[in-house]
Amino acid sequence: MSALAEILFGGLFQGSLYAMMAVGLALVWTTIGVFNFSHGVFMMLGAYIAWQLVELGLPAAVAFPIAVVVMAGVGWILQASVVRPLIGRPNIVLVVVITTLAAGSLIENGALTVWGPRSKQIPALIAGNTTIGGVGVSLHQIAIIVITPLILAALWMFLNRTRLGLALRAVAQNEDAGHLVGLNVTALYGLAFAIAASLAGLAGIFMGGYRFMSPVMGSDPLLKALIVVVFGGISSISGPIFAAYLIGFFEAACSYYFGLYWTPALLFGVLILTLMVRPEGIFASRSRGLA
Amino acid sequence: MALLELDDVSKAFGSLKAVDGVSFKVEAGEIFGIAGPNGSGKSTLFNIITGIPFGPDRGQIRFDGLAINGKSGHAIARLGLARTFQRETSFDGLTVFENALIGASYGKQEKTAVAARDAAAEALEFVGLGSASFGRLAGELSVFERKCLMLATAIAMKPRMLLLDEPASSLTKPEIETSIGLIRRTAERGITILLIEHVLTFLMSLSQHLLVLNNGRVLAAGDPAGVIADPRVIEAYLGTRRSAA
Repeated sequence: MSALAEILFGGLFQGSLYAMMAVGLALVWTTIGVFNFSHGVFMMLGAYIAWQLVELGLPAAVAFPIAVVVMAGVGWILQASVVRPLIGRPNIVLVVVITTLAAGSLIENGALTVWGPRSKQIPALIAGNTTIGGVGVSLHQIAIIVITPLILAALWMFLNRTRLGLALRAVAQNEDAGHLVGLNVTALYGLAFAIAASLAGLAGIFMGGYRFMSPVMGSDPLLKALIVVVFGGISSISGPIFAAYLIGFFEAACSYYFGLYWTPALLFGVLILTLMVRPEGIFASRSRGLA
Repeated sequence: MALLELDDVSKAFGSLKAVDGVSFKVEAGEIFGIAGPNGSGKSTLFNIITGIPFGPDRGQIRFDGLAINGKSGHAIARLGLARTFQRETSFDGLTVFENALIGASYGKQEKTAVAARDAAAEALEFVGLGSASFGRLAGELSVFERKCLMLATAIAMKPRMLLLDEPASSLTKPEIETSIGLIRRTAERGITILLIEHVLTFLMSLSQHLLVLNNGRVLAAGDPAGVIADPRVIEAYLGTRRSAA
């Protein structure tokens, strides 16, 4: 019983973090058609900004939302500086991989210079621990497991029930037609990046309350988010959400039965198998669309 | 004053002059037809006017007296200039209603969600797409229904001028007849129409003015009956009779 509870809980927790990360990657891909390799750095920066605000004396309940809003601005600026000028050029996907990697490296080293290499931790969303099914868990982790589906549901509502969300879904399908019906495509691209950066920043805050933070803390989650979007398919946002939880459970089970060292190898085994059998991802449709 | 005015407009792709020194005026309230064989520069001309995906290399385009060269595509659309495509719908993965709602929300930019929904529903009903089809995906529609949906999306934008790109292509005869009626009723709503078509009979039954393009240049322009009687137009469409050897 405790083995099952441990895998279930570990899977839900990891799946929540991966879902928050992967949805942002998918949102940017479906709207702009580029892959943002600075997404992991967004996660780190969100956590550090939250930590800094708490250090300045702000209560966590104020500091965390501010950090998320600041991350939206960071996402917008990054899009305007290293993605937007390249739109319409040949090989944009490859070029943006390079520019976002470069921007990520700059931000990561900037964080190292400003905040130093020493590990830091931000306050938990809820302090304390409890026991579920014989497994000791922190209330912070439970809060993440509960909050994440609510945030993802809110994102789904935004995309499917508001006119701005409809505009984002439209521009994801046909950029030229978007211009012709009066959509400000440039602003919508900025919005997609801003939302993605906010979600990544929030994932960073979640993680910073659970593990020690460092300027390279976003690298591993970015890698996992990449596995998730390849596994689930990146042409929609619902595919990566389901895939995130499946990968979370798979990782938790692998860690439990085979140990932590084998887990990455097994994850990449799943990735390679997916690419061989269903390269568009197991939940993907063949066309891009935010649903 | 003319609603749309093109003055010596040109666009080249390398050494190919797709549109070469084209000038014409479209008066408010009229249906203005543009004819020409395939590859004569008709669709490129529409691209240039709407700024999507490119504007002209040279020349002036004025809409209601305002120069629109260099303006972004969405800014031109919001001035009241809407466009339909030959075949594809705007947003295949969205429902019929969502397509029209996008037009209503961001074209004229209806202030409230309720006003936008009303405008979208009214435009769809106007083109014959009743409420039963609102929930269907645009990508699942027939060619004729797609054209109707594009027209409804454009009408929902409440444009002052509508650019229709080959509305009769790939349609059956009865569908063409329905289209002609629909375009007439659209014009009766006070929307000025600029129409591209290479089927001359379709243009003749609708247009008050006709312009024929060939190799990117204006071959003839004016009264439709006079234009199609022009020997240069006949030659462009049918070729010249070879003298017997």
